Amino acid sequence: MGDTSAGSSSPQEGHPTAPSHRTGLEGAGLTPAATASAMTAPSRTAISLTVNGVRHRVTVEDRWTLVGLLRDHLDLTGTKIGCDRSECGACTVLMDGKPVYACCQLAVWADGADVHTVEGLAHDGRLTPLQQAFIDHNAPQCGFCTPGQLMTATALLHTVPRPDAAQVKQALVGVLCRCSNYNAIVEAVVAAGAQQGGAA
Amino acid sequence: MSEAVQPFTTIGHVTPRVDAIARVTGQARYTNDLKLPGMLYARVLRSPHPHARIRHIDTREAARLPGVRAVITHENAQVVWGAGAVAGGRQYSDAIKEITRQRRYIFNNPVRCVGDAVAAVAATDRHIAEQALALIQIDYELLPFVLEPEAALAADAPRIWPEGNLCLDVHNQAAPVVAEHGDLAAGFAAAEQVFEQRYDTGFVHNAQLEPRCALAHWQGETLTLYTPTQGIANCRHDMARDLGLEDQHVRVVCHYMGGGFGNKNQNQDADLIAAILARHTNAPVMLEYTRRDDWLGMHGRWPTVQQYTVGVKHDGTVTAIQLIGFSGMGPYRKNAGGIGGLELYACPNRSRSLSPVYTNRTTSGNFRAPSEPHGVFGIESIMDDIAYTLGMDPVAFTFKNMLRPTAEQPFTNYSLDACIQMGVEQFGWQARRNVIAGSDAGPIKRGAGFSFMMFRAALGMSSAIVQVDARQRYTLFVGVTDVGPGAKTTMGMIAAEALGVPLSQVEVVSGDTDRCPYSVGESGSRTTIMTGMAVVEAVKDLQQQIAARGMPTGDDILIASATPSPTIEGKMRQCFGAHFVEVEVDTRLGTTRIIKYVAIHESGRIINPQTARDQIRGAVIQGIGQALHEDLLYDPASGQPLTTGYYRARHLTHLDVPTIEVHFLEVDDGYGPFGAKTVGESGIILAPAAVANAIFNATGKRMTSLPITRDKLLGAMA
Repeated sequence: MGDTSAGSSSPQEGHPTAPSHRTGLEGAGLTPAATASAMTAPSRTAISLTVNGVRHRVTVEDRWTLVGLLRDHLDLTGTKIGCDRSECGACTVLMDGKPVYACCQLAVWADGADVHTVEGLAHDGRLTPLQQAFIDHNAPQCGFCTPGQLMTATALLHTVPRPDAAQVKQALVGVLCRCSNYNAIVEAVVAAGAQQGGAA
Repeated sequence: MSEAVQPFTTIGHVTPRVDAIARVTGQARYTNDLKLPGMLYARVLRSPHPHARIRHIDTREAARLPGVRAVITHENAQVVWGAGAVAGGRQYSDAIKEITRQRRYIFNNPVRCVGDAVAAVAATDRHIAEQALALIQIDYELLPFVLEPEAALAADAPRIWPEGNLCLDVHNQAAPVVAEHGDLAAGFAAAEQVFEQRYDTGFVHNAQLEPRCALAHWQGETLTLYTPTQGIANCRHDMARDLGLEDQHVRVVCHYMGGGFGNKNQNQDADLIAAILARHTNAPVMLEYTRRDDWLGMHGRWPTVQQYTVGVKHDGTVTAIQLIGFSGMGPYRKNAGGIGGLELYACPNRSRSLSPVYTNRTTSGNFRAPSEPHGVFGIESIMDDIAYTLGMDPVAFTFKNMLRPTAEQPFTNYSLDACIQMGVEQFGWQARRNVIAGSDAGPIKRGAGFSFMMFRAALGMSSAIVQVDARQRYTLFVGVTDVGPGAKTTMGMIAAEALGVPLSQVEVVSGDTDRCPYSVGESGSRTTIMTGMAVVEAVKDLQQQIAARGMPTGDDILIASATPSPTIEGKMRQCFGAHFVEVEVDTRLGTTRIIKYVAIHESGRIINPQTARDQIRGAVIQGIGQALHEDLLYDPASGQPLTTGYYRARHLTHLDVPTIEVHFLEVDDGYGPFGAKTVGESGIILAPAAVANAIFNATGKRMTSLPITRDKLLGAMA
């Protein structure tokens, strides 16, 4: 793959021999191998998935991530990309009820899945008790991690109706907040659970 | 004069943010959520070397890749990024353009740190853009590098700039920044004991969750830039200057942004790169940084070395303070590199010599209270040491030595005593502190520490426009973007209070230079004070018009604008605070757990208690991260950064975080909008010092290096 340039002593940024999750997949046999210099059309797969209750049949490139499918091709930009490499949790969505990092799910793996994003929480404009609790407790500061916190907390409230602060922190540990509004986020989730007994 | 604070109708009451629904439903559109027809995607290629000259760069193969529309490098896109260096931004004036030789371009040659931008590609698809980067061939000549500020000042150090490694200031001079008061020699002569200590503090990345991005779009000669920025007016002016345009031919739009904490003010090179690619391709261009791009291409708090010498009498009176400091700025002096803290003390004999130094690390820049937390950690560590050595309670030592108003330097109000006293009571200082540091038996040792501060709450210029229509709906136009503290809501509340109407009758228009007047930019703890004052003055003007002409009818509106530039007539205007922390240190593992954290703040009248409280809590937690975890480590042999990203720099998660108890002491000093001061930066200033002092009280070991990681603690206790 490509030449290393004379005189440089380490691989360039973005060089194909530098590992990335996309090129790594080729070695794992999950995509057809691409030759070094030929630009072949990316391979595609037809999938069917449900997002926020709506069925989509879509042909995806095998290299697309789920978050890329949601944001770029289904116009659901509520799910954010904070790192694209599974260390921040901003991209958390629910897949068959479980919180997953959408940046580390290939779109093709979502074939047949039931996906829920932040846009699907409110129904007919009515916010869930959790969303209202986020507003009441000032849980979003810059708001960028808010969808990830909301989706993870939604999953928690389905399984633990009235979590205490320790349970909330344990469940949400995978979603970072650099504004560090952690105290308010926990207070909001605990309040939502206490108020509704878990109906989210 | 300070008065006891009575609540108003709107101000002082917990108020949900006006845009809260958009934030919790995913409807809020951040820059990277936007799409324009025909939009291209861009990526940046970065240097893999800490210091190198580009001998040759070949972009032909990249340019030939189907889908690639433009490739730019230093050869075909030489644009000075004024705000990127030499105290830039508005200070990259015509005068300094004449004299400076150290310009920072969007693509530099030589490259001076791993991550320095060398090229950018715009393509029809992100994947194509990434593949194109890999096809750019660069012949580098490797140069020697230096990573540490003191080493960079050695005579034989590799020169990062021809003029040497001491940073230039706005007068184009390479000189330490020196501030001296009184007579240092006399002060040391009067001392009965002299203490010396060296401290060092690590680089702390701003690490905002939204990675840098920029969407640029030209229509004829007019540029529209959608970008996450804390200051749309500043960004617009910087873009115009750097691209050779008039301000009115640049429009900057930002309605939502995912944090910045100081790295999203002015324009950034990402904005310029996107704009230039958009001009080359005649299409909108969305430039996106990866998380690693952001770590290496944006900035973080400068690492420092601080050498203190303090003279003191046996009764605890400080007679002399000397600081010799070094700040590692990376290859470009993007911001000041300051080290604050000395000004907290009344000692008349003080000297600070500060050398901002070029290094081949990623650039340093402003991060929430840019000059404070590391400096306060340094000086309050040595003062804490002195107190314990003399057998004094650090609180008593502080009361003896902290700066107070004088006849020569009055304050608008002063409540530092009250803040500290409140903290002593709320926290239970006497019960939680060990009189002898380290006296807890262990293996888990408990202890308590405290720190105190004053911080600027100065007035300054900003603008606001307010109008009313025939249905008595008010519209407030302010150039804020709401980086997270809730400025839209705060400005709306100030307007509502001044107008005497409910907040629901006020619409706030923000985030677009085409619609909003100048605002100073949400940084430096200035928005509430400066833009808030402009709101108050604009409302007064509107009310005078209403009194003279009556409410508008039909399609008429009344409109008023104000750009006040208030002064405080020579007085000091400060916020005050004190933080008290209790920790448990597991001496077997070197881990530190925070058990209790009490933050006392006097920030004038609090406009919105909820957002103010969460500004403090969030800032404190960032400060705890600085105290215990965050750093950007480099491999000294290769100059490669090792801990780029959240996982490696060990940012705090939900499970790491204690509940922060915040108490506001409210006063109205008669200045600012309704006596409001500022909250945005105050919370971070004291956390590293308070946590470090608590660790000393628990273990008896003075930790002189931030972050206080497990290996350092275990080493100290071995």
